Amino acid sequence: MSIRRSIGLLEEDCTACLICVRECPSKCMEIDRHTEQISEGRRPKTVHILDAFAIDFALCMFCGLCIDVCPTDALQWSDQGGLAAHQREGLVSNSADLVLRASE
Amino acid sequence: MGSGSVAYRVTRDLKIRVHVSELACCALEVGSAVTRGLLEVEDTSHESSRVEVMLISGTVTQLLAPLVVAQWDRIPEPKIAFAIGACASSGGPYWDAPTVMNGIQTLIPVSGFIAGCPPSPESIIESICQLVPTS
Repeated sequence: MSIRRSIGLLEEDCTACLICVRECPSKCMEIDRHTEQISEGRRPKTVHILDAFAIDFALCMFCGLCIDVCPTDALQWSDQGGLAAHQREGLVSNSADLVLRASE
Repeated sequence: MGSGSVAYRVTRDLKIRVHVSELACCALEVGSAVTRGLLEVEDTSHESSRVEVMLISGTVTQLLAPLVVAQWDRIPEPKIAFAIGACASSGGPYWDAPTVMNGIQTLIPVSGFIAGCPPSPESIIESICQLVPTS
């Protein structure tokens, strides 16, 4: 059980389903995605591909609802804390920051 | 309350004097940092501090905003302000409420934002050490 200090992302597990974005009470999450056609298999299908993930930690209330609802467990608690910045924009974590947090 | 200015001493190394604007639950975490010995409480009236640090901890409503500004104005120079937690940084969970300010930086110059809702006492101390200018 990790200490709830920040949130990490396993990028390869994210299906860009947007459930976390819709559930977030603070509306602090943002996902950019596009669709791709996959023709393998019995029928062609459309899947979402994640382009960018961002969490605004200046807004986040660390409730963990996004982590609870994630169907693929791509979001997880991270014990890397001490989130601080000189600018308000500095508290916005992009995909790279979030992936780094998940790995530590 | 926002009008009560409480002066604490963080570590001797930082040579700062901390003024806490206690507005909501984040203030309890700052208080916890004091009782757990992370923030040093000391009478520094006879000592000169390098910089005065104001910690705005909690939700800034339109009603409380003038009190926060008045407290900021009373603190002598040189001084810096840090926003503790989501509410002081951006309005936090109340970002959509009409009576809540979307961040204290719209009222006073803020030189540091500390994430958390609320941040743990350890995070607060860690962040203060990271954000206070070294010289």
